[in-house]
Amino acid sequence: MSRYRIDRSDLAFAREFLADPIGYHSPGLQRVLNLMRGSGVAGAGEIPFKYVLVVEDRHGRWRLGRLPLRRGAPVELVEGVVYTDLIAAERDIFSRRWKDLTGDDLDQALSQP
Amino acid sequence: MLPLVAYTDKLSVAPGEALSVMVSSFGARQYRADLRRIIQGDTNPQGPGYKDQPVALDLGGSRAAVAKGFYPGSCVIIPGQGMLGDLRAFTLALAMRPSLIDGRESSLIALPGFARIGIDAAGCVFAEAFGTRLVISAAVALETWHIVSFSASAEGGLTLAVTCERDAASADIAPSLATATVQPSPCRADEVLIAATRGGDGRPAGFFDGKIDRPALFATDLSHEAVRRLLADFERLSRQRSLRAAWDFSQRMTTQVICDISPFHLDGRIHNAPARAMTGWQWKGQELDWKKRPDLYSAIHFHSTDVYDTGWEVDFTLTLPEDLPSGVYALRLVPDGVEEDAYYCVFALRPPRDRVTGNTVAFLFPTCSYLAYANHRLGMDVPGTEIGMGRVVEMDRHHMFLQTHPGIGLSVYEVHDDGSGVFHSSRLRPILDLQPKVKSFLGGFGSNIWQFNADTHVLGWLDAIGQGYDVITDEDLHAEGLRLLSRYNVVITGTHPEYHTRPMIEALQGFTDRGGRLMYLGGNGFYWVVSFNEDMPGIMECRRSEAGIRPWEPGHGQFHHAFTGEYGGLWRRNGRPPNHLCGVGMTSQGFDISEPYMLTPDAAEPRAAFIFEGLDCGAKIGDFGLAGGGAAGLEVDRADPAQGTPAHALVLASSVRHTDIYLMTPEDLLDPTPEWSGTQAEIIRADLTFFETEGGGAVFSTGSIAWAGSMAWNGYQNEIAAITTNVLRRFDDPRRFEMPRDRQS
Repeated sequence: MSRYRIDRSDLAFAREFLADPIGYHSPGLQRVLNLMRGSGVAGAGEIPFKYVLVVEDRHGRWRLGRLPLRRGAPVELVEGVVYTDLIAAERDIFSRRWKDLTGDDLDQALSQP
Repeated sequence: MLPLVAYTDKLSVAPGEALSVMVSSFGARQYRADLRRIIQGDTNPQGPGYKDQPVALDLGGSRAAVAKGFYPGSCVIIPGQGMLGDLRAFTLALAMRPSLIDGRESSLIALPGFARIGIDAAGCVFAEAFGTRLVISAAVALETWHIVSFSASAEGGLTLAVTCERDAASADIAPSLATATVQPSPCRADEVLIAATRGGDGRPAGFFDGKIDRPALFATDLSHEAVRRLLADFERLSRQRSLRAAWDFSQRMTTQVICDISPFHLDGRIHNAPARAMTGWQWKGQELDWKKRPDLYSAIHFHSTDVYDTGWEVDFTLTLPEDLPSGVYALRLVPDGVEEDAYYCVFALRPPRDRVTGNTVAFLFPTCSYLAYANHRLGMDVPGTEIGMGRVVEMDRHHMFLQTHPGIGLSVYEVHDDGSGVFHSSRLRPILDLQPKVKSFLGGFGSNIWQFNADTHVLGWLDAIGQGYDVITDEDLHAEGLRLLSRYNVVITGTHPEYHTRPMIEALQGFTDRGGRLMYLGGNGFYWVVSFNEDMPGIMECRRSEAGIRPWEPGHGQFHHAFTGEYGGLWRRNGRPPNHLCGVGMTSQGFDISEPYMLTPDAAEPRAAFIFEGLDCGAKIGDFGLAGGGAAGLEVDRADPAQGTPAHALVLASSVRHTDIYLMTPEDLLDPTPEWSGTQAEIIRADLTFFETEGGGAVFSTGSIAWAGSMAWNGYQNEIAAITTNVLRRFDDPRRFEMPRDRQS
């Protein structure tokens, strides 16, 4: 569980991620990703699911899924969300997690001065 | 999802031998089987392309696909042998330490149809006999020893009593009691089950999660205090005249046998491989090795998630043709005519047992490592896996099946539902990730394949260069040792040969010591101790003691394997660090991207000239690949004289940076300060290493799982593949390697 909280001061790291989702990251971005990809926020409890990419066509097509925490529970597919590019999927899931954790739309937050 | 899944009775079979196939439908109506040699399993469009070769062998046409299902859960089953029918007055007693209350009713001990003690859905101990159920209203405490007794007098007085042993330091332990009066009737049970009972379908059911110690049955009604006193003096219990059976789990712990210490010898057997050699009620830290005080290790830890033998009926048996060359093969099972849904039962066709094939090169098919990862759920059960991957988890079809069918059995990377570590992994069940084509969690950005499928990059390279080879498995090596290796000039490993038994390590070391040549084409090899059990073919034990990157610890005092008594954990802590064998040892891991190697001055040494012959390498090699985009990555090893790297070893090239997902291994992270990460710590690197041995042999180690993913780049036309081929050609030449005179170890 993380004690870190994402807020507007992390927007620079969001820009960094969207520019290059895979590979070397600044320590600040890595901290944001550790929270998004880990087991949740201390005090707020675990996020009840993890976003996953459900393979429909290996190396070609993925559905967005929600993997529940409980072993044996089925993965829920998010209706209408299909990716044909893993980098695009990373960006979209980052934005969804930003919204889940801050309540803010990432695109809007980035467009504000 | 998968319409059918299957397994074979062996992972290694010789020409002329039989192989049985067990199949279960999960929606398929019928299937057809054919036999294929697996050449290259990666389906990445940037890779060399999937390749297998059909083998002309009639396997009998279409077969009905029958649903068979999974039945996990461990227990002890004891035949009554006619010694239970006269019971009227009785006492059932045991010590138990529950580890999971999850809303299910579980059984501690049962004489099915006659009497039973269990824990109900609310966590309260209950007992049943003569149609009456008693319940202790207070719930049990998790991870705490309790003594439970259930007695029936000849007059029909029932008493259920429970004491919580954490209160044992107080002056008097007052038991929680429940009583009733009933009309007794004869006992019709003819068996005893411990940690389960019989379900409506006749299978064991109602599995208990937790430890049980010294269960006993008396043919009289005893007070709880008497029971507690008798159980505490277990060695003298056999003189108790009313004793009908008392099962001492500390006897014959390395087998499936459960011994009754009463004169009746109502012995039984374990079912589905629960953990034996576990600390019991009387263990207070007096000894840490069960071999020295087995009496303190009188508990078994049962799990509702334990699996040994899935036990499906055989669908068909084939005999492998005598003239079929050694290799990696799969029985391809195509359900309902849909080739895309085919399930591949992969196995090794080893060379004949009684004669050599003429091949001087062997690929060591790492079945121990495949078993360790069998059906692993790292990306599903462990949130931190995504952090280590540096990208979102991909769930392939087999992962979706695993998610909804955990009863298929866990890998030694998981914890049981009660949070305790999984010590055992068996091949007598479908292993969904032991298939070509499947993607994984840890294989890096790119192909994202792991273990078997990643190893097909090596098989594909051998095919691409026209190299004849035999395939031998870890189990073959464990059983036949250097006798088997002596057939070969060269042994080639897979990409991640992480798990080894002592006989395997000793055989490989003996091989290189005596002139053999080892090509370790992977990373994090020769890391964990595992053991097999002569009484339980096909299952492997791993206890992750103390150090190592590990998902769990075995629990205090439980670091020694039950199968062999060996101290579990890292080979590094057992006198055989991997550096002795291959010059490098595990240093870090990260599953996002990989890096090139930079050549070092050692690469210009005349001793290493054959490795780079015909190549015009710049300063950098392997700046490409299917496993994270570089040849150095995923799990990486460093040369380290302090861990036994020979002094004359040449470190030909090293990676010089990794992302900060790469962190220090726990065994080297003695003082966790913030600089131990891939962009900062020089020690986090892959070392490409070569050395000669006194016996005329040689060792070439890549120290990187990603190496083979670079070999497969550009259709195996690149300097990483060429370097590997150069090494193989010289290693397969029987001319001795000479030790350097100026750099003796």
